[in-house]
Amino acid sequence: MKFDISYTFDAIPRLLEGAFITMQVAILGFTLSVILATTITIARTSLKSKIFNLILAFYISFIRGTPILVQIFLVYYVLPVFGLNLGPFTAGILAITLNSAAFVTEILRGGLASVPIGQFEAAKSLGISGFALWRKIILPQTFITSIPPLVNEFTMVLKATALLSLITVVELMRVSQQIYGANYHPVEVLSGTFVIYFLMCFVVSRSSVVLEKKFKVKRA
Amino acid sequence: MLEYQIFFDYAPMILLGFWLTLKIVVCAIALGIPLGLLLALGRRSNFIIISFLSTSFIEVFRNTPFIIQVFLFYYVLPFYGLRLPAEYVGTLALAAFGSAYFAEIIRAGIDAVPKGQLESARAIGMTDWQAMKNVILPQTLSIVIPPLTNQTLSLIKESAILSTITVHELTMTGLMVQGETFRPFEVFIMVALLYWALNETIATIMRKFEKNIKKSRDTGPKNNSSTALKHGENTR
Repeated sequence: MKFDISYTFDAIPRLLEGAFITMQVAILGFTLSVILATTITIARTSLKSKIFNLILAFYISFIRGTPILVQIFLVYYVLPVFGLNLGPFTAGILAITLNSAAFVTEILRGGLASVPIGQFEAAKSLGISGFALWRKIILPQTFITSIPPLVNEFTMVLKATALLSLITVVELMRVSQQIYGANYHPVEVLSGTFVIYFLMCFVVSRSSVVLEKKFKVKRA
Repeated sequence: MLEYQIFFDYAPMILLGFWLTLKIVVCAIALGIPLGLLLALGRRSNFIIISFLSTSFIEVFRNTPFIIQVFLFYYVLPFYGLRLPAEYVGTLALAAFGSAYFAEIIRAGIDAVPKGQLESARAIGMTDWQAMKNVILPQTLSIVIPPLTNQTLSLIKESAILSTITVHELTMTGLMVQGETFRPFEVFIMVALLYWALNETIATIMRKFEKNIKKSRDTGPKNNSSTALKHGENTR
């Protein structure tokens, strides 16, 4: 057999459609996980409750200690046992959100530690507290210092979405499996998919520098 | 509602899968770290072709999902006439994937050693290779161990993906037991707990090991050099 590149080119329009879905899943999952992680971070800092911290440590340790594939299977196969029947798409997003939120929480903890304690004190002496304190003062600084690890985490999420093909979410990986299932040319089709994934992740990971520059100007 | 019987009936099978996961990860690390070292040195090489090839290998493997790398290895090797059992293909894929990350870790470790070390080693007449082997690499060791541990843990987790190419490791065994018993909850909890226990054990051991290394560095007679290193970092 020879490598016939025309199969790659034939597959490209459908692969790009799949790539679009992959991007949507990744953005949705990542956004939800950032929201969840921000809530957790605020709750942890303002509650200072031992039980909450203990549960959180347990959750983060579990997520970091087990493969995301097993977590996806847990959400997809186990929730129906408890009567919660989610479709593959919802289950996939939920699994990715829960997974990524643990990592983003850790990232935000690092970012929060870099905000000087004087910022809290200064805000308090100006009479700013509660929601405004977080929204206007603490969170912007936390996020700006966390840009590089957050972008890195987004590429992780982007790569993890490929695993959703195993629970029948029709994204880039699944689409390519469908194509070579029909034409029996896995090498050509998978090469195309490989290049598309590489371009997506590479562009995203390089965007970190651009984002950092943009927000640095704003800060000064 | 929990059927405890499953834990006992299928434990031998699951543990067999666990054992294969361990073997695959150990082999992948044993192959991956030397390859990663080569790639890290290749990336710093003065020959443009070598540094370009190493850099693109690293970037390509770091910027694509592991699952598609596994599939490509699985389909491409037979395409060029190399037929191997799925376990070997999986181990090779995991080693290649890991080596790209190991390379970046080692490179960062080498960069963290002050430049003066290499220059002084060259000045007393060592060749580049001698300087690397006797001066630079030993110093990177303590810098490199925490991220290497992290990467090892991540390889254990990524090895679950090998279940997609019919390697009978832990996750695959779990899927098979689930197919037989239709009790996903018990099975996947058992699988998850095994991965978790393995990762936590390794993390704890390595944390102790790190502390020992730090202690031996701090109490040794090299206190002067470590302050000099700190000073050097401040002025840079």
